[in-house]
Amino acid sequence: MVGYILRRIGTSVVVLIGVSFFIFALLHAIYPSPAIDVLGARANSALIAAWNKQNGFDDPWLVQYLHYMGNLVRGNLGYSYKLNQSVTALFGGVWARSAWLSGVSLVLAVLIAIPLGVYQAVRRNTVGDYVATGMAFSVYAMPVFFLGLILIQVFALDLHWFSFQGSQSSSLLSVVVDFHGMTLPVVTLTLLTVASFSRYMRSSAMDVLAQDYIKVARAKGLPERLVLMRHLLRNACLPMVTLIGLSIPTLLAGNLITETLFNYRGLGLLFYDALGNADYNVLLAYTLIGAVLTIIGNLVADVALTVADPRIRLA
Amino acid sequence: MMRKRVAGGLALVLAGVTALAACSGGSSSGGGGTSSAPGSNGSIGLLGQFGHVPAMAAGPEHAGTITVAAPPDAAPTWILPMVTGATNSVYTVPEFDYQMYRPLYWFVNGVEPTEVPAMSLASDPTWSNGDKTVTFTLKSAYKWSDGQPLTSKDVLFWWYLLKAALKESPANWAPYTPGLGIPDEVASISAPNSSTVTMNLTKAVNPTWFWQDSLGSVQPMPSHVWDIDATGGKAITDWATNPADAKKIYDYLAAQSKSVSTYATNPLWQVVDGPYKLTSFTPSTGAFTMAPNPAYGGPHAKVESSWQSVPFQSDAAEFNAVKAGSIDIGYVPLTDVPQIASLASSYNEFGYSDFGWSYVTYNFKDTTGDFNNIIDKLYIRQALAHLENEPGYIKAFFYGAGGQGFGPIPEIPKSPYTPPNALTNPYPYSPATAASILKANGWTVVPNGTDTCAKPGTGTGECGAGIPAGTKLEWNVIYNTSPAVIGEQVQDWASQAKTVGITMNLSTSNFNYMIANYNDPSSPKTVNKWAMQDFGGFTNSTYPTTFGVFNSAGSSNVGGYDDPQADKLITASISSPNPDAVTAEAQYLTQQQPSLFQPNPDDAFGTAAILVWKKSVSGTPQSFESLTQASWNPEYWFFTK
Repeated sequence: MVGYILRRIGTSVVVLIGVSFFIFALLHAIYPSPAIDVLGARANSALIAAWNKQNGFDDPWLVQYLHYMGNLVRGNLGYSYKLNQSVTALFGGVWARSAWLSGVSLVLAVLIAIPLGVYQAVRRNTVGDYVATGMAFSVYAMPVFFLGLILIQVFALDLHWFSFQGSQSSSLLSVVVDFHGMTLPVVTLTLLTVASFSRYMRSSAMDVLAQDYIKVARAKGLPERLVLMRHLLRNACLPMVTLIGLSIPTLLAGNLITETLFNYRGLGLLFYDALGNADYNVLLAYTLIGAVLTIIGNLVADVALTVADPRIRLA
Repeated sequence: MMRKRVAGGLALVLAGVTALAACSGGSSSGGGGTSSAPGSNGSIGLLGQFGHVPAMAAGPEHAGTITVAAPPDAAPTWILPMVTGATNSVYTVPEFDYQMYRPLYWFVNGVEPTEVPAMSLASDPTWSNGDKTVTFTLKSAYKWSDGQPLTSKDVLFWWYLLKAALKESPANWAPYTPGLGIPDEVASISAPNSSTVTMNLTKAVNPTWFWQDSLGSVQPMPSHVWDIDATGGKAITDWATNPADAKKIYDYLAAQSKSVSTYATNPLWQVVDGPYKLTSFTPSTGAFTMAPNPAYGGPHAKVESSWQSVPFQSDAAEFNAVKAGSIDIGYVPLTDVPQIASLASSYNEFGYSDFGWSYVTYNFKDTTGDFNNIIDKLYIRQALAHLENEPGYIKAFFYGAGGQGFGPIPEIPKSPYTPPNALTNPYPYSPATAASILKANGWTVVPNGTDTCAKPGTGTGECGAGIPAGTKLEWNVIYNTSPAVIGEQVQDWASQAKTVGITMNLSTSNFNYMIANYNDPSSPKTVNKWAMQDFGGFTNSTYPTTFGVFNSAGSSNVGGYDDPQADKLITASISSPNPDAVTAEAQYLTQQQPSLFQPNPDDAFGTAAILVWKKSVSGTPQSFESLTQASWNPEYWFFTK
């Protein structure tokens, strides 16, 4: 196991270097320099040249890349010339907010989707299954923006039960306890994830229910509760492990649309604004962090699978 | 200032709505009419406006904290009153910086781009020596918040720091244009006494231009507090004679301005001459609160309130806040204007275009299909203008909240420089007229097909120089996808063009890519990749010369327009003593159509929107109107209960 993890980490470093090189090259090909975006179209060539020199954009792009990677190794993600702050400070100010919003939603979704999927599989083709399936399809087919708007209109603007926006506090503790502000964004994300996860869980549970060991367990007279808990649940959850692992990047990457709709400053919005401003260093850092999290998520999922199912051996 | 007509950008499109235009379709039941709008009390207001601004409440004034919406991507990112190119925006300068550090002259008066003398730190300048020497006097009413007088030394301090900043990088001051205005055209500066400053220029300039564009950018700094190069450091007094020391001071102050997280706590920024002091600032969101500066020497409400800038991450979120009644002064995004009537019981509403223009840029250097030889014909540009249905666009795409624009100066906002031909569309919508023009100039018009040149040559009734027989009227048009109204207008224009046989092949892009790549001065390699493009537009300064945009050597002459007569007129606007020079310039450009000038949606807070504010908040009408011109005057606001 340790050897496997070490090998995966080694491979991941190579992948990350490749990703960083690719992203940097791509960005440079599209925008050799963001000078005119930053300075405006009235900027003349002298201004542009001065800005490029000041910010190192007059170097060959490979030199720029190596310079960036050198800083990266030292933990320096660069400086946002548009926002006038270090990228580290920018990310530091919002990453926990995004992680909280996405994390709580993910946990709630898992807690709801797994039993719901099992229930639907066990009671398939019943009224309960049809209702849950219908609701899942409805929510799944609904754009997140539309779902959020409906929730805001009904529960914030009409009933006044919750706030129309997420917590505006910069303190994570305040965000955590702000149920008035955080309920609707969390519910929006949770519903969408439940709609997706419950379908996977239902399908997986139905497959497991058809397995011989379930029939054997029942034939032995094992109570149905134990059949479901011991034999069905653990095996049916295996695809969920992979799904959850792949969801890890969203913990930090943020949920752009939900953050936008609920006026909740997070990493997703930071990235979106950086796109609009051609904010090089923010874009690079965000993309690289996304790559790191994707790799970590996959690794965690693979390891978790071996724990959940000892039959799976890591090579 | 370049604009992308989108929330979070710079200022938005502009506009001009004439009485005739408004009556002929610029207005609609949606509200963009000549008088009242849904929710208004029916009072007659300015032509082209949406809703109205009520008179200032006559009852008692109450203080409090007024919450003001900030559109997406509007966080202030600089505080030193010498804004860099990278951090320059209407949210960093007029909304934030000007509240603490006033410019010498205040040039937005409600919706009008004219000076407000009472809000200017100095008396109007006087000129001598054949327009080569300018002198102005600081008013004694204005003081620093620590009680020290505002003196000519503070202007000189700003000046020498500016020189040091620009020596490090021309990008260190956003308004800077090498060789033009301040500081390059100033040979010397002196302070004959504590309130008077004299500048000797290197050559004669247009006094009005220099006053409004150059002197209007000067922001005195508190030299008695800021003359240090380290926190708690000893005062450096030789900054006027020792450039190295001026550089040290600038570097220190600029470094402090980069420390965004300390804006509200750094004692440096607590010495102000404006109406407000910063009391809180959240770097991650750009939210901030300002409290009144008791020592402010300018006009303000009887009872001064604090105000809080509340950032929103999307227009939808902001509109939800307005619907929930949680914001005192906000906006209704253009796309939500049809819902504005639901706010009538709790909010006042007002919409007006800002001062500038939106346009489709023509590329006069694109040789593809001889486009350069086609577009340099005035009759072609006139025909294209006749295919644009501005009243229809305003009604259909802006929900009536906008105005027409025929040239670089719109009819509204009212300007002292508006030329006569900006008052009515010289080339009104008429596809039939466009077809007639083409036929009269040697083209075979094939409705819904593609026109070809049937009569090459330079004589009367012929296509014109450089256009061989069989040349097609077909080219590409690239437009910005955000905001959607750009695409809607371009698509309709192309559709109308097709009816007279002009084929426009449309494709989309984004603002950043377009100004970087479809821009002749900065991207000469791509001059043949595009024939027309629509990225947005420009906001005018109060002195609306198009220098830099339509002069042949202009750094923002995106399409390479080259007309000696235009060059002559534009140069006169900045260098001749003629006070009407800029009017003549605008009149000529409106007639020549160097681009397709478009209608402009109403603007609030620098974004396409209608301004709304609670009925419990009042102030001078101008203080609300000015928000449509990206100018904030919260010192006039108060609660009525």
